[in-house]
Amino acid sequence: MIELKNVSKWYGAFRVLDDCSLRIAKGEVVVICGPSGSGKSTLIKCMNGLEPFTRGEVTIDGISVGARDTQLPKLRARIGMVFQNFELFPHMSAAANITLAQLKVLGRDRATAQAKTDALLARMGLADHAAKFPAQLSGGQQQRVAIARALAMDPIAMLFDEPTSALDPEMITEVLDVMVGLAEEGMTMAVVTHEMGFARKVADRVVFMDEGAIIEDAATAAFFGTPRSERAQHFLSKILQH
Amino acid sequence: MGSYRWNWPILLADPYYGWIVSGFGNTCLIAVLAWIIAFPLGSAIGIARTTELRPLRFAGTAYVEVFRNIPLLAQMFLWYFVVPELLPQDWGRWVKRDMPYPQFLTSVLCLGLYTASRVAEQVRSGLEAIPRGQHHAGLAMGLTPAQVYRYVRLPVAFRIIIPSLTSDFLGVFKNSSLALTIGVLELTSQARQIEEYTFAAFEAFATATLLYCAVTGIVILAMRQVERRTRIPGTIAIGTQ
Amino acid sequence: MEGGFDFAILIRNAPFLWGGMVLTLQLTGLAVAGGLALGLVLAVLRLSRIPFVPALVAGYVNFLRSMPLILAIFWFYTLIPKLTGQSVSSFYSVLIAFILFEAAYYSEIIRAGISSVRRGQIAAALALGLSNAQAMRYVVLPQAIRTMIPVLLTQSIVMLQDTSLVYVVGLRDFLTTADIVAGRDSRPVELYMFVALTFLVVCFSASRLVNRLRRRYAL
Repeated sequence: MIELKNVSKWYGAFRVLDDCSLRIAKGEVVVICGPSGSGKSTLIKCMNGLEPFTRGEVTIDGISVGARDTQLPKLRARIGMVFQNFELFPHMSAAANITLAQLKVLGRDRATAQAKTDALLARMGLADHAAKFPAQLSGGQQQRVAIARALAMDPIAMLFDEPTSALDPEMITEVLDVMVGLAEEGMTMAVVTHEMGFARKVADRVVFMDEGAIIEDAATAAFFGTPRSERAQHFLSKILQH
Repeated sequence: MGSYRWNWPILLADPYYGWIVSGFGNTCLIAVLAWIIAFPLGSAIGIARTTELRPLRFAGTAYVEVFRNIPLLAQMFLWYFVVPELLPQDWGRWVKRDMPYPQFLTSVLCLGLYTASRVAEQVRSGLEAIPRGQHHAGLAMGLTPAQVYRYVRLPVAFRIIIPSLTSDFLGVFKNSSLALTIGVLELTSQARQIEEYTFAAFEAFATATLLYCAVTGIVILAMRQVERRTRIPGTIAIGTQ
Repeated sequence: MEGGFDFAILIRNAPFLWGGMVLTLQLTGLAVAGGLALGLVLAVLRLSRIPFVPALVAGYVNFLRSMPLILAIFWFYTLIPKLTGQSVSSFYSVLIAFILFEAAYYSEIIRAGISSVRRGQIAAALALGLSNAQAMRYVVLPQAIRTMIPVLLTQSIVMLQDTSLVYVVGLRDFLTTADIVAGRDSRPVELYMFVALTFLVVCFSASRLVNRLRRRYAL
């Protein structure tokens, strides 16, 4: 479904991504973790072409992301993305945020789009908040609207870029619950996160990155049981200490 | 000062009353027409400066730098005295002999193009104030870059810059007084003319000042309403001036 | 245009034009100095807690900012000789107009600079045991000045351009001297282009310099 082959990226002389290769099969949930600045966010943004890369190849469902003749908007419409800071559009209500791309990208008629939006808001437990604006919602609610916004496009895969890092602790669960639900339904997911509980529970594989390189790519049980690299062990010991 | 003889009624006498009215009308008309040029042109230039296309960005920057680093009065003289000389002969002759209202139209054009450079800077700073993540979120859902501008970035940017656009509009309103240097009889020049004819300097200047202040006040109040109406629920308005 | 460009005219009139430039620079320098001094006083008064004073200052600032500079020049050009009862040189009438006018703009920039320092910074300074004055001196002003200086400099560049408006009272600044030569020798193209290019080069370089300053001292 999602495939990265030898992807590298430089900012001038600084190497952000170092020869990264990764395959995510249909229905797979892959968690990407690593210390801050390790390139995880950049990597996930390469998957839908938000970050251009210097070398290598990224394909989604057989279509090359980096190719000149690829219609990036069309490709991106099929891949949902959820951001660390929610990135809801502040001048639109929750419902309008979810409806926008259905109308402007998919060309759905207003009634169909509205029905889809209502169903998703209900599923997120936010039916009463449809008319509210982002600034009137809590962080957890905003992130659930953002997930609904991505799901409204009927994506073939979902990318999550640290979806709970900007949330207060008591709101993390409500967002993770939604993500667990998605994983259990068989959604293909790439998730950058430090939530190791989530990884243990639903991830098929865990990828560990450091200094722009993929250091470890292992089945979840193997990763938590016996991480092979010293750096991954060190990272896990720090993150699981408390 | 004690010997100054006030003569307010003279402002209501013929022809001075008419001078003030027509001067005020010209001032408003120049400002509005110039703004009609400045707003769309400035917005386009401001947008150009935020795109990824280098030639567009360069052209936008060059425009802004040229227009804001030459005194407006010098620009007025350039448009009025120099440009007709540099045009192809037929055009130049038309501008000099046959163009209707030459002084008026020249000042509208000059003020419009100059104010566009100011609008461009506001639009650019408004767009740059929006976090990059918003742009990414728009792209990630499949919107084209143009759609991201249309539905995501511009609606927020314009809300942010309402106060600065207000002061730019007031700027073009005040700057319309420069039209007097090429002979347009707008408010300031009519006041000056009344002073020359009647020696009622203070009355004439005070009236003009009052009219400028009144329009400024009305525009600010009106724009506060606009700001309130377009305010995004849950956020705080920035407040005009 | 007849006879093509005649740039020798600039050389022939160089001393005269230079005299105009000197007046422009003098006027700008004095107006910036006076405007800054008065602007600082106005800003401090506006942020003070003396009854009525902040409102009065706000009134003054908003009043001047709603008036075209040309009108202010006319006001003072006519008003000052009548007020003082003697003929004052037009240079000084105009200078006073510029100082009073620019002070309104400078005071707003200074006030915005001081207000831009986050309240938490003052709280932190007071929590350390600094006095109000010390908090202002060691914490608020050093931060405020950094945001203020580039804006004040940019405003001064605008001011340099605005001095050309003394044309309306016939004071012989750079633009007016060029205008005189242009009229006398019927050479508007050369003269006005020369004025425009000179300002463009000076103001563009100055604003580049301001930008560099801003970047170097940004917090």
